[in-house]
Amino acid sequence: MNELKLNEDYDKFTHGMELLIKSPDFSVGTTPSEVIYTEDKMKLIHYIPKVAKPHQVPVLIVYALVNRYYILDLQPDKSVIKKLLEEGFDVYVIDWGYPSGSDMYLTLDDYVNDYLHNSVENIKERHRLEKVTLLGICQGGTLSIMYSALHPENVQNLVTLVAPVNFDSNKGILNLWAKGLDVDKIVDYYGIVPGDFLNSAFLLLDPFRLMIDKYVGMFDRIECNAQDQTCDLRNEDYIKNFLRMEKWIFDSPDQAGETFRQFMKDCYQKNLLIKNELKLNGKLVNLKNITMPLLNVMAEFDHLVPNDASIPLGDAVSSTDKDTLVFPTGHIGIFVGSKSQKEVCPKIAAWLKPRSIPDGKESEQKKEKLKSKVTKR
Amino acid sequence: MSKMDTNEGNSMDKSNLESTQEFYDQWIKMYKNTMGKLIEMPAVGPAREKTEKMMKGFSTFVNLYTASMDTSSNMQEVFKEAMKKVQEKIGSDMDGEVNPEKYKEFYNIWIQTYSDTFKDFAKSGHFVSDLGNLNAHLMDYQKYNREMLEENCLKPMNIPTKTEIDEINKEIYTLKKTVKELKIQIKELKGNK
Repeated sequence: MNELKLNEDYDKFTHGMELLIKSPDFSVGTTPSEVIYTEDKMKLIHYIPKVAKPHQVPVLIVYALVNRYYILDLQPDKSVIKKLLEEGFDVYVIDWGYPSGSDMYLTLDDYVNDYLHNSVENIKERHRLEKVTLLGICQGGTLSIMYSALHPENVQNLVTLVAPVNFDSNKGILNLWAKGLDVDKIVDYYGIVPGDFLNSAFLLLDPFRLMIDKYVGMFDRIECNAQDQTCDLRNEDYIKNFLRMEKWIFDSPDQAGETFRQFMKDCYQKNLLIKNELKLNGKLVNLKNITMPLLNVMAEFDHLVPNDASIPLGDAVSSTDKDTLVFPTGHIGIFVGSKSQKEVCPKIAAWLKPRSIPDGKESEQKKEKLKSKVTKR
Repeated sequence: MSKMDTNEGNSMDKSNLESTQEFYDQWIKMYKNTMGKLIEMPAVGPAREKTEKMMKGFSTFVNLYTASMDTSSNMQEVFKEAMKKVQEKIGSDMDGEVNPEKYKEFYNIWIQTYSDTFKDFAKSGHFVSDLGNLNAHLMDYQKYNREMLEENCLKPMNIPTKTEIDEINKEIYTLKKTVKELKIQIKELKGNK
C-alpha cells in the first residue's frame, strides 16, 4: 500500500517538475512604459496612461534603493502600477539603477536633492504644473518624506507606504540588528555595499522558512496527476509567480556606500529624522515643513517596517489633511497580495482623486470633491 | 557558555562543542599572554614596516576566529534547544510505520520549531552582539587581506589597486557634482536675462 502511494507521489512530483523543465516565461514589469529622463544610472519611467484624460496631478512613485521597483508591476494581474493607471492616474516611477564603483560616494543628498528633485522638476515641466504627488514606498517613502520636508512647494500630496520614519523601534528585527553593526567598517571595506550582503541579512530574519520551507512548499505545490489539466494550468500560473518573486527577491542592487553609511547611522542608529535633526548637505530636514495632504499606509503584519516605525509621521508633520490606513497584510503582501488589488490600491486612489486637482483656480471644485468622496477608515 | 535561557531539568549533557569551546578559551588566553605579545612587539630593521603590518594580520585573524567560535557556539546552543523542543513535541507519535504523511507531519513540527526558536534568538541581545562583532572582525580581516594584496602583489607588479581606483572615483564624483552645479547656475543666469 505504501509502495503504491510512494509511486503515485513520485509520478505526481516528476509531472510537476516538467513545469520547471519547460522554463516558463515569467517576465516582470510588463506594463507599457517609456523612459523620459536619465541622469547617471537613474531613469525616470513614465507609464502609458490607460485613460484619455488622466487626473491632472501626476503620481511619482519613489521606491527603495535596496530592491527593484518592479515589485509594483510584478505580475500582469497583480500590478499596483496597472491598477493606478486603471484608476485614471498618470504614473511615473524612479528606477535608481544598479550602482557601481563610480557611485560609491553618492550621498543621501544626491538621491533626494538631485535625482529625486530633478525627476520632480522634469514631471512638473512636462505637465506645466507647480506640484506632483509623491508616493514613497518603504525606504523610498523615507526619501519622499525628506524631499517633502525640503521642497514642500513641489509636493501636492504625500503618500507613504510601509515607510519608516521612527527607527527606534524594538519591534523590527532589522532595527535591533542595525544598532549592533559597525557601519563604518562595512562601508570602508566594501565602498559599494553588495546587494548580497543585505540579502543575507534579510534571509537571516527567518532562515528556515526562507531557505528551506519556501522551496519545500513549492515542490509540494506543483505535484500534479498527469491527467489533471486544471491542476496543470493552476500550477503553471503558480510557478510563474513563484519565479517572478524569486527573481525580485534576489535582484538586489548594490548600495552606494556613503548613502548606506548615512542612512544606517543617521536614521537606524541615531534616529535623527523623526527628531528633526537630520541634515542633508548641511540642510536641516524639518518634518514640520510638511504641510501638504498626507496619507500614511501601513501593513499590520509588517516584519521589516513595524507600524510603530511609521505611525509617528502623522504627529511629526504640520499637515492638517492627513489620514492613516492599516491593512491586515505583510510588508510585501501590501504590493502583491490579493488585498493589494482589492483594497490597498482602490483606497489610495479614492484618497488621491479629490486631491489630484492643481491648486489655484479649481480650488472650489477640489473642496467639493473632498467633501463628497473622502471617507476615513 | 549558553546564551539561551535553558531549563536546568531538560539540559542536555555537556556537548563536544562546549568542551571545544572551553579548550579554545584556554588556548586564546594562553595565546594572548605568550605568542600574542611577541607578535605585537615593535619590529626593527630594514623590513620593520612590512613585518609589523604582516604581524598585525595574526591578531586580525585571531579576533575573527574568536568571534566566529563564539557565534557558532551560540548557534549550536540554539539548535540544541530547538532539537529538544522537537523531541518534546513529537514524543512517541513517530513510533511505528513510517509513511509520507508521518514524515510530512514531522517536517512541519521540525520547521515550525526551528524557525520559532531561531527567530526568538535573533531578537536577543546576544545575537545582535554576535552579529555585530563577527561582522566587524570579518571586515577588519578582509580589509587587511586586501591591503596586503595591494602592498605585496599589485603594487610591485604595477597593477592598479582598489585604493587607487577609489581615489579616481572620488575625483569623478566631485567633478560630476561641480558640473551639475555649474549647469544649474548657467540655467539660472540664462533665465535672469
